[in-house]
Amino acid sequence: MPELNFCILIGAVLFVSGVVCMATKRNAIGVLMGVELVLNAANLNFVAFARYTALGLDGQILSLFVIVLAAAEAAVALAIALNFYNNHLTIDVDRADDLHG
Amino acid sequence: MATNFFFWLLLVVAIAGLAGLLLVRDASRRTPWLAAFLVSFGVLAVWQSAVMFKDTTASQVLFSLFGAAVCFGALGVVLSQNVVRMAFWLIVSLGSTSGLFFLLNADFVGAVQLLVYVGGTLVLLIFGVMLTASGPYVTMKTSPTEWVAAAVVSSLLLGLILVSAFGVDWQAVDYAEAGNTTTQDASAGSSVQEGTTLRPLGWALLGLRPDKDLQKPGEPSGVGYLLPFEIVSVHLLVVLIGAAYLARAKRRVDQTPGTTAL
Amino acid sequence: MEPDQLKNWLSLLLTIAWLLPLGGFALEIFAGFWSTRLKKTAAYIAVGCIGAGFVCSLTALCSWGMHTGYWAEHDYLTKFFQETPLGGDHAPADGHAADGHHGSEHDAHHDEHSAHGAEHGAHGHEHDESKYPTVFAGRYYQLAEFGSLQLEIGYYIDSLTLVMFTMVTLIATCIHVFAIGYMSDELTEDYVDHFVHVGEGHLHRPGRFYRFFAFLSLFSFSMLGLVIAGNVFMVFIFWELVGICSYLLIGFYTERKSASTAANKAFIVNRVGDFGFLIGLMILWTSFGTFAFSEPSAEKAAENPGLFQMLRDDHGQMTVEIADDGSHQVVLTGPEGTHKTIPYYLLVAAGIGIFCGCVGKSAQFPLQTWLPDAMEGPTPVSALVHSATMVAAGVYLVGRFYPMFTPEVLVTIAYIGAITLFMAATIAVVATDIKRVLAYSTISQLGYMMLSLGVGGWVAGLLHLITHAFFKSLMFLCSGSVIHGCHHEQEMPKMGGLRKKMPITAYTMLIGVIAITGLAIPGTYFGFQFAMSGYHSKDAIVATSLAYWGLNDQHVLLFILPLAGAGITAFYMFRLWFYTFAGEPRDQHIHDHAHESPAVMWVPLVILSFFAIFCAYDGEQGPLWGLLVHSEPAGMDHGFDPAAPGQIAVPGHHHVHEKMSGDATVHDVAGRYALAVAIAGAILAYLFYGARLLNPADVRRQVAGLHEFLVEKWRFDELYDAMFVKPVHVISGWIAALDRVVIDGFLHGTSKAAVDVSTWDRRFDEQVIDGLVNWVGDRTFRVGRSLRFVQTGRLRQYVMFIAGGLFGVLMLVYILTL
Repeated sequence: MPELNFCILIGAVLFVSGVVCMATKRNAIGVLMGVELVLNAANLNFVAFARYTALGLDGQILSLFVIVLAAAEAAVALAIALNFYNNHLTIDVDRADDLHG
Repeated sequence: MATNFFFWLLLVVAIAGLAGLLLVRDASRRTPWLAAFLVSFGVLAVWQSAVMFKDTTASQVLFSLFGAAVCFGALGVVLSQNVVRMAFWLIVSLGSTSGLFFLLNADFVGAVQLLVYVGGTLVLLIFGVMLTASGPYVTMKTSPTEWVAAAVVSSLLLGLILVSAFGVDWQAVDYAEAGNTTTQDASAGSSVQEGTTLRPLGWALLGLRPDKDLQKPGEPSGVGYLLPFEIVSVHLLVVLIGAAYLARAKRRVDQTPGTTAL
Repeated sequence: MEPDQLKNWLSLLLTIAWLLPLGGFALEIFAGFWSTRLKKTAAYIAVGCIGAGFVCSLTALCSWGMHTGYWAEHDYLTKFFQETPLGGDHAPADGHAADGHHGSEHDAHHDEHSAHGAEHGAHGHEHDESKYPTVFAGRYYQLAEFGSLQLEIGYYIDSLTLVMFTMVTLIATCIHVFAIGYMSDELTEDYVDHFVHVGEGHLHRPGRFYRFFAFLSLFSFSMLGLVIAGNVFMVFIFWELVGICSYLLIGFYTERKSASTAANKAFIVNRVGDFGFLIGLMILWTSFGTFAFSEPSAEKAAENPGLFQMLRDDHGQMTVEIADDGSHQVVLTGPEGTHKTIPYYLLVAAGIGIFCGCVGKSAQFPLQTWLPDAMEGPTPVSALVHSATMVAAGVYLVGRFYPMFTPEVLVTIAYIGAITLFMAATIAVVATDIKRVLAYSTISQLGYMMLSLGVGGWVAGLLHLITHAFFKSLMFLCSGSVIHGCHHEQEMPKMGGLRKKMPITAYTMLIGVIAITGLAIPGTYFGFQFAMSGYHSKDAIVATSLAYWGLNDQHVLLFILPLAGAGITAFYMFRLWFYTFAGEPRDQHIHDHAHESPAVMWVPLVILSFFAIFCAYDGEQGPLWGLLVHSEPAGMDHGFDPAAPGQIAVPGHHHVHEKMSGDATVHDVAGRYALAVAIAGAILAYLFYGARLLNPADVRRQVAGLHEFLVEKWRFDELYDAMFVKPVHVISGWIAALDRVVIDGFLHGTSKAAVDVSTWDRRFDEQVIDGLVNWVGDRTFRVGRSLRFVQTGRLRQYVMFIAGGLFGVLMLVYILTL
């Protein structure tokens, strides 16, 4: 169904933008935004499939769960970023290279 | 698209207006040209769209609108340099996604998306932006090389995903015509006030699936989401406690950048 | 007493006498550990053992005499009391004296047995020959058996054995007692040896008193074992044992280079002689097949005859036949009466071989060089070993082995003896060390004994052996007393006039000197006869050599040389006495400090001088002669006619006593000449050294060359040095060089090769193998280190990698599923 393909397309675009955002942004918050985008792409896929295939209600339930977990993860990630900022006075992820080889 | 006299007339006017806009040196005299271009182009666009898309339904239009908004919002997130502007574009994108949800008959999920994602998570992100803003607001730019590498990789990935996804026969059925999947509730008519997916979702989260006919052979016997629901709730509690602990107020290290202290 | 009982009794006594010193040795050698070095315990044990041995030997002799009726036949005691004025010339036939003879030699036991003798004398002569054999022989222990050859420890007891045992034990006892006094300065923890220089001063060492007596006991054991031996192999064993003891005793002062060298020389020169002995033994073994002397019982002799029985018949005759190819063969009687022949020359070779051992042991020409050097040992050693016993072992063996010697061998023995006696006598004339003079005198007298045995005077030679033992040991002990009194001064030019200071020593020495020179008052011309022992024995020797000359015209030297030797002997012996004891002291310091020896030292001198005078009492009619004649080899009394192939006649007893010129027998004529020569020599010595009417220095100047030749001991040492010692040194230098260059070079080469191989191997291991392993590790490390840079720690790069990796994996899956 074109609608399904359309949703898939949008979801792919979202996903790829999220990946690009994660790969290129130097601000930690920017990276987190990329994460949000990726999760949204997944959610969109779930809901689209819930609508157009036999997945049914399960897709919507799962997307609910995804939203909840995304929120939790965002909170924790933000706490970590905050800690990092408090210790290093910078939010630049390029400065967080203490684990380099 | 209809290509008659009015079409060509409007097109000439649009092009003239564009030419005049570009060629007139004096900024204050550009206004008429701008107006001409805009009007003609607008009328042209609307007329041709109406002609082209005369068969499109409202939902289809809305679908495309919301979809475009999502994509552009995502692009905006990627391309902005300023983190606050990124947040704005993210709001646009997430809001449009919520619209898409509504169009896809996931009314409750769309609502939750708006409430939690846009209203909670994004606000949280903005608060984070606020709390991690250091003195002179330094924009952290990425080098062009990295842009190119990211673009290459992302385009490849996009192509791959699309090719693989479009190559699959999903056996998709538009249940909106065949019948709303979310309303197995035969007794109730689809009433907006009730919310067509809320009740089934609630039942499912409690472990019951009235929308499924369990007598049908091949159906799994009861896919209730009670346990995941409980786990997620505890998880959320724990995570939030952890996040609150992690983010507690600590003695901030002194203002010399680069020093690391724990 | 039955013969077997007597045999067991005699063998028991003699075995006790023989083995007691061995037990003594075992005790004494450890006496240094049990008791202190300061006590004379070892000496008492030694004296006890040898004294007990003497008692046993004497008892054996008396038992033998009593039970075999020997004393009864000869009745010496009765004769002693009924002394006939003229000694009488009796030709003893068949070894048994017709009339009774007496002797006061064995005074003590004669008193015991005199009654016995008187009793039996009444019964006349009971020749119980068939009951008691002349010889008792038996076996103690079999060492090994190789086919028909049996090596065993056995005994051979006849009157010669008994006399030798008694003589050896008696002299040994006296010398042991003397040594208690002589070696008393070893009874200390710190003995200062003035002849060894260490650093600034003299050597200090603990005293070795007990060891001396241990060695003396061991020597006594060895000598008695040699005397009792019943077969030639056993003789050889104890021959070597005696040689070892001599070595130990000569080298007693081990730290003195001269002493240790002398000990080596003695042993090595003896060994040279033993080489010939071994050849003789081997010839005997291959020809005869047995080593035993003889088997006395007739039944056993048929089965296992001894050497004597195989070669000679009951009358002492040897059977020589001429084989088909013209060579002379000797017929041997084997067991069960079988006959086999051996070539005559083989028998001669065997005899010469055995005699070679005697040449070495008895210091005859040419192996006489060791005996003068052996004087490095303490004087008791010289007295016991190198005058009376060990050097006499060679003579004893010749006497024991006599039946095996062909007349050719006998003439060889005689000539060697003659040369030796003359040569040694001439050297003794110029010697100045008191012990050297006595040493050369010993060599000379041993030459006399060999000469006597060679010319057929078996009894004479062995009689001289016994008498020489007594007076030579007496003289050595006297010289020891002088040395002890003069505080270890041995050079005669430093002595003089000592008889006032040491009278007992001086006069006992005089007795010995008169005994050796053979001065006497002969009974032929005067009413009585006074002669010391040496006179009788020397007389007999000269007489026999005269008889021999009479039978074999060409061997005149064998008479002239002993005669000349007698004169020279008299000369140098009196020279020694006058030099030492008479005249004015030449070194006042020594004269002042000289003193008579303590009683423990002069009592043995007196005892020995008594025997030196009386042991051969009455010469040929005396008891000692009679004892020795009893054991004479068969046929000796008649002599031997000239026989093929040598055509040499050997005189018997009656040849010596047949009339020669007028009424005088050969014996008388020889006796006159000998006495004349001896008196001449004595007077000459008196003129030179006693009364100082003639100056020896003048003579020395006139015959300077001869004098030097004699002082250089006829240059034998230099000759042997050039002939043997230097070539051996050269060859050993070559061999040492071979060892050093070739063998050591080879060894060093192989070890160097091994070191090189291992070095190369180590280098290979370090560089190649370790290099390989290290290279691998290094590469891995480098790869890891370069991969380190992948992990930049930058988040965005990681995300990029994730995305890229995801793309790659999906691409892969996509391609694979196409």
